[in-house]
Amino acid sequence: MPDREFFTCDPIPASAGIGLRGPHYREVVESSPKVGFLEVHSENYFGRGGVPHAYLERIRRDYPLSFHGVGLSLGSTDPLDRDHLRRLGQLIDAYQPDFVSEHLSWGSFGGRYLNDLLPLPYTEEVVNHLVERIHQVQDILERPIMVENVSCYLEFEHSHLSEWEFVASVAESADCDLLLDINNIYVNAHNHGFSAGDFLHRVPGSRVREIHLAGHTIKHYDQGTIIIDTHDHRVCPQVWALYREAIAMYGPKPTLIEWDSDLPELDVLVDEANIAQSVMQETDHARVA
Amino acid sequence: MPGLREVQERFSANVLDADAVGIAADVKAGAFEPRLRLQVYRNNVFTGLTDALRAVYPVVEKLVGEGFFLYASNEFIKRNPSTSGDLHAFGSGFGSFLATFEPAKKLSYLPDVAQLEWNYHEVYHEADADAMDVDALQLIAPDQYERLQFRLNPACRLMQSVFPVIEIWRVNQEGYSGDQTVDLDAGAVNVLLLRQGEEIELHPLDAGDYAMLAMFARGDQLGDCLGAAQRIDAAFDLTGFLSRFVGNRALIDFTAC
Repeated sequence: MPDREFFTCDPIPASAGIGLRGPHYREVVESSPKVGFLEVHSENYFGRGGVPHAYLERIRRDYPLSFHGVGLSLGSTDPLDRDHLRRLGQLIDAYQPDFVSEHLSWGSFGGRYLNDLLPLPYTEEVVNHLVERIHQVQDILERPIMVENVSCYLEFEHSHLSEWEFVASVAESADCDLLLDINNIYVNAHNHGFSAGDFLHRVPGSRVREIHLAGHTIKHYDQGTIIIDTHDHRVCPQVWALYREAIAMYGPKPTLIEWDSDLPELDVLVDEANIAQSVMQETDHARVA
Repeated sequence: MPGLREVQERFSANVLDADAVGIAADVKAGAFEPRLRLQVYRNNVFTGLTDALRAVYPVVEKLVGEGFFLYASNEFIKRNPSTSGDLHAFGSGFGSFLATFEPAKKLSYLPDVAQLEWNYHEVYHEADADAMDVDALQLIAPDQYERLQFRLNPACRLMQSVFPVIEIWRVNQEGYSGDQTVDLDAGAVNVLLLRQGEEIELHPLDAGDYAMLAMFARGDQLGDCLGAAQRIDAAFDLTGFLSRFVGNRALIDFTAC
């Protein structure tokens, strides 16, 4: 791991970036693809050294960086994992990322981790719990974090807020920025029968600091279809349409192409990022015109 | 209205312990029954954890086949749930689990192969280290040699197996196209796993070298280590040992006590 504050914190521009995964390390170093920023899963760098850090250190010299957490279990009622936060803090010190984000979900109970982004009931109790946890995390890390809406395959009977009310309420009460995942909105709109456009219009646009785009998988059952957020395909046309709507509303935002399973060639990710980039340029022009 | 803690308790019990009753009543029914919706999560959780094991234990998977690996990993996950939000920390006990897992009993070499793969995984993520300052070592007065303590490279692991695990590992690597026959009675092996840059090397060690490194790893002093090595191998040569393991950076530092 590099020494503390070896890097200065480059701000992430309103441009398209890609998720950096191990199989692409070498090619990214050799070909320096033209993308606005790179995002990594923080937990992939919780080790003390070796290949992941060797590459991240080299890559960090050429790109602004975003740390995206998948394992903090922000919404859990177990105490926050101090060791997890300590390691995240060391990473932040070492690499000076512009963005640090986590999910509005939980993943552990009674010390047992399910290592998944599990759904929360949309209630005031949960909003208050998340606000408290976000504050605790920000106090420990001594910096702001962004929170991301997740894909969901069930709803709780006792949820009495809509998902967008829930997300907006957490962001407003915790006074934190949002990482808006537009694929997740699309997935949930399909799975739970609401309008994705309404969601986009009702979250506080001024708090949207970053956007995620990804592909998904449609699972067919006798009763109908459930969309699973698998991050293993290109972004679908409907999600691109929602993205255009979002950019027209919020203005250009740092936008990440996420791909985690069945990783394609790096070119495919860069190509998806270029599409996002041109959406931002076209929409920006449209706004100016 | 159930509180959040109660919801999480029932949800995790449903996923990990297949407790089908608890949480289903809290889930909205619609076109899909709650059981089916929960099944999506159960599936995601087990797939995620199995993929994590698969990434660490490719040779074990190759040896037992995809279907058996899935079965074994499902049983492992149920009995040894993950205890960290860092997925890379999951699976350390898979080797010991396999040693007691009845359906795998006949494959007596499997736990050691798993241990080798876990060591490999740890070495991959371990801290980097600079080479030893050899000039400083040469400045040590001979009467202090006995009490020297040597520090091992953090990115190394030592293990012993009664099976030829290096050979098993080697012939089961992706891209290996030679003869895959391994004589399981080829004899015990001492292994040093050591990362050099991006590469992780597997070195077979003779008994004297292994004893020295294992005792250094415990913090023993050179005099005691050398005594032990010479009892194992009367011809043990300290100069050769130091040049090998300082040279390949298995030893990276020393302190004069």
